[in-house]
Amino acid sequence: MWTALSYASWGISIVLALWMLYDWFKIDTTFSEEVLTSSREGELEAVSEKHRI
Amino acid sequence: MTITLEPAIHGDRVSLLRVLGPAHVWALGVGIVLVGEFTGWNFAADKGGALAALIVCWIVGLLYTSVAMIDSEVTSTVAAAGGQYAQAKHIVGPLMAFNVALFLVFAYTMLEVSDAILLGDTIVAKAAVEGLNHNAFIAATIVVLAWLNYRGVLMTLNVNFVITAVAYVSIVILFFSVSPWTQGAVLKLNELVTPGNALPYGWIGVIAAFQFGIWYYLGIEGTTQAAEEVRSPARSLPYGTMAGMITLLIAAAMTWYVCASLMPWEYLGITYYPLWDAAKLTGSPLLENLLFIATLLAALASANGCINDAARAWFSLGRDRYLPSWFSAVHPRYRTPYRSILFLLPIALAFAFIADLNQAITFSILSGVLQYTFMSINIMMFRKKWPLGSIQRGYTHPFHPLPAIVLFCLCVVTFFAIFLGFGSQLIAMVAFYFLISLWFHFYRYKFVRRGDQFTMPWPKPQGY
Amino acid sequence: MSRYTPPKQSKAGQIFDIAVVVVAIFVALWLPLKMGLAGAAKSIDALDATTWEALGQNPTMASIWEKLGYTPETAHDIIQNRFHYVIDWPTLIIMAAVLIGYFVFLFRASDREYRDVINEKFDDK
Repeated sequence: MWTALSYASWGISIVLALWMLYDWFKIDTTFSEEVLTSSREGELEAVSEKHRI
Repeated sequence: MTITLEPAIHGDRVSLLRVLGPAHVWALGVGIVLVGEFTGWNFAADKGGALAALIVCWIVGLLYTSVAMIDSEVTSTVAAAGGQYAQAKHIVGPLMAFNVALFLVFAYTMLEVSDAILLGDTIVAKAAVEGLNHNAFIAATIVVLAWLNYRGVLMTLNVNFVITAVAYVSIVILFFSVSPWTQGAVLKLNELVTPGNALPYGWIGVIAAFQFGIWYYLGIEGTTQAAEEVRSPARSLPYGTMAGMITLLIAAAMTWYVCASLMPWEYLGITYYPLWDAAKLTGSPLLENLLFIATLLAALASANGCINDAARAWFSLGRDRYLPSWFSAVHPRYRTPYRSILFLLPIALAFAFIADLNQAITFSILSGVLQYTFMSINIMMFRKKWPLGSIQRGYTHPFHPLPAIVLFCLCVVTFFAIFLGFGSQLIAMVAFYFLISLWFHFYRYKFVRRGDQFTMPWPKPQGY
Repeated sequence: MSRYTPPKQSKAGQIFDIAVVVVAIFVALWLPLKMGLAGAAKSIDALDATTWEALGQNPTMASIWEKLGYTPETAHDIIQNRFHYVIDWPTLIIMAAVLIGYFVFLFRASDREYRDVINEKFDDK
């Protein structure tokens, strides 16, 4: 039972790893680098939190 | 399958999602740390005896209460992904921030490695099958959790909340099922911890025990990493962190009491499964299985939180170009720092296959203590550059500067404790940080935009 | 003060920088393991004892050891495996010097960079 579980673990690891690689490739080819790396620190902050002095 | 770009919050920019509440912050903090009760803290008993493990549980508890207080104040004000990294960037300077982010990534990745090894070893110990190797379970742990993190932060932390709560409740169940109010029936504290063996190495043993005492709470400061994904950071972060700290202090006390009352310190100090062994010694198969499962869940929760935190620290480094900006990509659909998650995955796997539990834990502790040393100095500078009243703080911690001083002193003691056990490793690690700092200061920093790093809507700091 | 415009890094440069960091991480974490620097000084103080009493275990402790599947012979190496804490002053002084030197460098270099950041940020407004 445990040996089967260990093979199943390898299986799941490989499948999920391949899926992530596939998704990564797909996202990187679908969207431009400018869109993907457009997150800016503090921007959300400035909108959602009002810093009054 | 087509991908639809959900409307990003700010025009056409893709950012992390603000979806988390205080319960998620608690789950992130306690989830990372709770595994320390299931393994790791007991090596403090090895270093200095059972009583030393209790003494450091309290004193290091004080250290972490200071950490939680200081962290809550700074992070409720500097609420950005990367947590202490963003704090260092705004308060001390870029090079410090770079180092802090590396402390974070190392501490969390090595903690994740320890969790995966623990999980693999626990399953192998339970199975007791000849030739069964832990590598399959290690790989599954790291890959499945990375996948969960890849798919979104809300689901990741919902899962963490559930498994952390189950693991926590199992400690409480174990505690109450051994009739903690009567000694002698199941618990035999006064026969196991005697005046003759309470401190087998004397006080130097207590100091040496600090190294693993850290393990009772290491990682609670990780709550700040979620700052950019929490709906209301100024309220949720202090609340979740403090609640987490209280939860952990209670769990640590219960764990010590049950384990020290059931096992001789020599055994307690070397076992990898103190709580699981305690459950076995009660003779109840139900408790034994419960604590077996809880050990696995605690390890999972911790590794999960670590992947979350390490990826966010790495992501922030890329966003400021401290590292190639390639890492700062956000997944358009899942809104996660997916490239950072994927990059750290093989590194964690590699170390999980080559390192052993003790060493991985020590690497993690070293980076943690370097970071706490920074935090004690950081809060002093924060109060000096922006005194109370000059900016709006989400939370202001009391008794300043006492917590900072306590934290600094305890860090010095812990460095000494590490010297007693792992001195040469500490020197090697610091040498690494020193070299990589030179690389950053003299080479890499030229790619960084200067003024853009300061993103908080604050006035100019005093003295500049 | 004029704004500092960083040079644009080429793709190859980015990949090279990532490689540098990865190699540095592996060297820092893996080398101490390989060189056997990791781990504290622990050694077995051998006893010719074959009874629980001689190993300093009272009847309660002995019964727990037995429940865990140990005999005095198999438990001997666990119980007598002790730390020997000695303060090696030269190493301690080197460690303290390295740590203090590291933090001093960190704060001084950071402060120099920080002044640039503040100047640029607040002069722009």
